Amino acid sequence: MNLSMKKLALTLGAYLPFFVTAADWQQPLNSITDKVIVQGYQAYANSADKLRQDVTALCGQASEAALELAQQDFKANVLDWQEVQWLNFGPVTYFMRYYAFQYWPDKKGVTQRQLRVLSQNPETMEAPKFWNSASIAVRGLTAIESLLFHPDFSPMTSTDHCHLLEKVSLHHYESAKAVSTEWSNTQPQSWVYSEEGESFDANQVAFEQYLQQWIEHMSAVKDSKLETPIGYNSHGNLKLAEFYRSDMSLKTIQKNLQTYREIYHTGSPSLYDLALESQPEIAEQLEEQLKNNVTIALQLPENFFHEGRSKEQRIELARPLVSSISQSQSALISLVTQLGFQIGFNSRDGD
Amino acid sequence: MNRRTFLTASLASASFVRAVPSWAALTGESTSLLYASAFTKDNQHSFGLFNEQGNILWSTNLPARAHGPVLHPVEAIVGIVARRPGFYIDFYDIHQQTLVKRIEPTPEHHFYGHAIFTSDGQKLITQENHYPTGQGKVFIRAWPSGEVLQSFHSNGIGPHESVLLNEQTLVIANGGLKTHPDHDRDILNLDTMAPNATYLSLEDGAVRQQANFTQDLHQLSIRHLDVNPKGIVALGFQYQGEPWESVPLVGVSNINSSTIEPLELPENIRMRFKQYCGSVRFDKSGEVLAISTPRGGLVAYWHVASKKFLGIDNCTDVCGIAATENSHEFFLTSGNGKQLLCNPVTNTALVVKKHAGYHWDNHLNLIANQRT
Repeated sequence: MNLSMKKLALTLGAYLPFFVTAADWQQPLNSITDKVIVQGYQAYANSADKLRQDVTALCGQASEAALELAQQDFKANVLDWQEVQWLNFGPVTYFMRYYAFQYWPDKKGVTQRQLRVLSQNPETMEAPKFWNSASIAVRGLTAIESLLFHPDFSPMTSTDHCHLLEKVSLHHYESAKAVSTEWSNTQPQSWVYSEEGESFDANQVAFEQYLQQWIEHMSAVKDSKLETPIGYNSHGNLKLAEFYRSDMSLKTIQKNLQTYREIYHTGSPSLYDLALESQPEIAEQLEEQLKNNVTIALQLPENFFHEGRSKEQRIELARPLVSSISQSQSALISLVTQLGFQIGFNSRDGD
Repeated sequence: MNRRTFLTASLASASFVRAVPSWAALTGESTSLLYASAFTKDNQHSFGLFNEQGNILWSTNLPARAHGPVLHPVEAIVGIVARRPGFYIDFYDIHQQTLVKRIEPTPEHHFYGHAIFTSDGQKLITQENHYPTGQGKVFIRAWPSGEVLQSFHSNGIGPHESVLLNEQTLVIANGGLKTHPDHDRDILNLDTMAPNATYLSLEDGAVRQQANFTQDLHQLSIRHLDVNPKGIVALGFQYQGEPWESVPLVGVSNINSSTIEPLELPENIRMRFKQYCGSVRFDKSGEVLAISTPRGGLVAYWHVASKKFLGIDNCTDVCGIAATENSHEFFLTSGNGKQLLCNPVTNTALVVKKHAGYHWDNHLNLIANQRT
């Protein structure tokens, strides 16, 4: 290459974003699907199954130990959910499964009210396709948490409550299992909608959806899981923290942030590897931020979301993590954009 | 008579007494159509016109992100309204390619991103927020001076878009969302919001009809609308409640009824909307309705008279819709720079062009060209 050609190449390299071909994204897409999503849902379905079995045992022979075991199972299942929670895409979008699995900050006590009605009318749950049309308030982890941890419910002493817990846990397991099975039999490319135009590539579009969902989830972790409950920008309400009744609010955030590193590094080449080739500076910046997120989150006191410290103290403790996640968001958006992905313009910020 | 019909009619009649818009200078052809849309490229918010081949013929930078174009029915003037909370409407003489007028809201008010001219082009109608009280307002200004001639209550909060049912009646989509510029775009009345579609007399501001939802749907914000020649008003909603709740997202209304009739939408498609409608447009004939959802990446179509759902076109981040000069045909724009031509009756969809790095903003308007 002569000097002028070299100069031209350098100039173009400096000004043109590097576009990895669509085929290159197939590897990280498939790896993230296999390692994070398919295996993640297998683990989630397995822990939901263990929860279901131990709830059945609790209802068969109630004891403090049996209740505690079911509560531990629930917590394990919640953590498994955090591994796959970032991707509202594919089989989980059927039958409102995603929203049933998801924590619902129930400000009006709808969950408790509907669960009480169901516990008094258990025969309604025997109706064909009851669970297909049931409110998400009685279908998933939020409902199970209420039945296991809310003082209004006592599966230890109330047969009706335990029977309801059994039914909800069984439905929850079946939903988790269904998503796991469907993911095992499908490819992410089959969950994107084809469009007119020569540039349409299912790998690229599917991976773009993964990246969009990751960005949105990162935003939700910072805003909904961390800032909103502690009143970082307005009035706080610790009851908005995810699964606060079972004391899982901090652990879920930590698990989410650990999962982000898996998303970034899974596959050969991984997203990180491909990003490093074309955008080394931003790729490394994101890598550092993702590491920092985990480190800082793990340093927060275990009782961070508990009562007993002032709002100001809580905000002061959270400030480094809020800042770090913010920087991760910026780095991720910048990287994804530089790699040629569209992260949504009207879809992210319409009116 | 819908907007495009009266636009054409008024242009035809006005041609006897006034100069018709001279777009030919821009297009270089007498028959080419022009489309107007705001867009963003390299973080610069802009406004531009492109022809039916998708070629951008003219553009200009804007001081802040914009939302909906506004077309003068008689003069070669096109405007663009700032996005909520908006504080400018810029008007351009396309023949001269110059900014001819900037209209700003009166103190303690902001625009919602949409405006329209009366059919004679002598008055400009805007929807505004009196943000100290949150009261929705409709302002009528003289064109081109911008002098405020009248102002009316919109009879709701958050009047987002409006259309002319006829010369005397304005239909307003009162979205119901109370916001304040000091609090970004935060919704300040989520528990009490009460959207409606108000049919307002332009003579005295009297309410001729108001269509509401039942209380269980009070968080269904009515944001965008269009009207066909039969006076059927199509409404697109944005639901502020929970994402898993199954609520209607599209409805129709008319001046003789206080209820909003939901349009059929298969659940598997309704879910893809993610509780959000973008643009609402009838085709040239008024028979076919198109509604976009950028969050769902699709445009859905209905045959309005039969209320039959016709199907969808997939397009990532799509939002802008304009009826073309052909019945049943729509021009679409997306946030990833795509321009498409779609006809849900013949079931055809054609990518006209994709502009790399361009993000076409929410709304798109057709400018009817005149032979010169």
